Amino acid sequence: MASQLLPLELIDKCVGSRIWVVMKGDKGTSCHPSYPYSKFAGTLVGFDDYVNMVLEDVTEFDYSGNHTKLKKILLNGNNICMLIPGGEGPIAASA
Amino acid sequence: MENGATSQGEGKDPSGFLSEIIGNPVTVKLNSGVVYKAGASGGIGELQSVDGYMNIALDKTEEYINGVKKRSYGDAFVRGNNVMYISAD
Repeated sequence: MASQLLPLELIDKCVGSRIWVVMKGDKGTSCHPSYPYSKFAGTLVGFDDYVNMVLEDVTEFDYSGNHTKLKKILLNGNNICMLIPGGEGPIAASA
Repeated sequence: MENGATSQGEGKDPSGFLSEIIGNPVTVKLNSGVVYKAGASGGIGELQSVDGYMNIALDKTEEYINGVKKRSYGDAFVRGNNVMYISAD
């Protein structure tokens, strides 16, 4: 069997690369990149065992479709639903 | 756990980032969408302290709801479970 890559090892491979983070909704029941939940696209600087993440050159896409640029943030891992390596966020996805 | 998180340098992983931004102006967004800015608009407010739960103490804080400034506080404590992100301004 091919060597297995653990989930957090996959994220570790993304350090230094662009990543797309999809948050879960208020109800926390489901998430999908095309759903109007908050999303963040940025360069992954680091993370910890809770998947709290430090992101750089971030664009925040909120549920109402607004964009906000942020230089460097610590994103709480508690509400993260999905991580998409190499993703540039909803703009690139819909282009 | 071999996720590399422990091998990252100061200012890279979450705890390093936190120690890096203590004393600086910050923007904190809660899960509710409410935004708290400490010292963002050229003021002298700052992030006073933060702990492993992301509990936060802010100095000279402005509260924004839907992007509109609603109130300001001298000191504010935010319980960590409500925090979506902490941004260095």
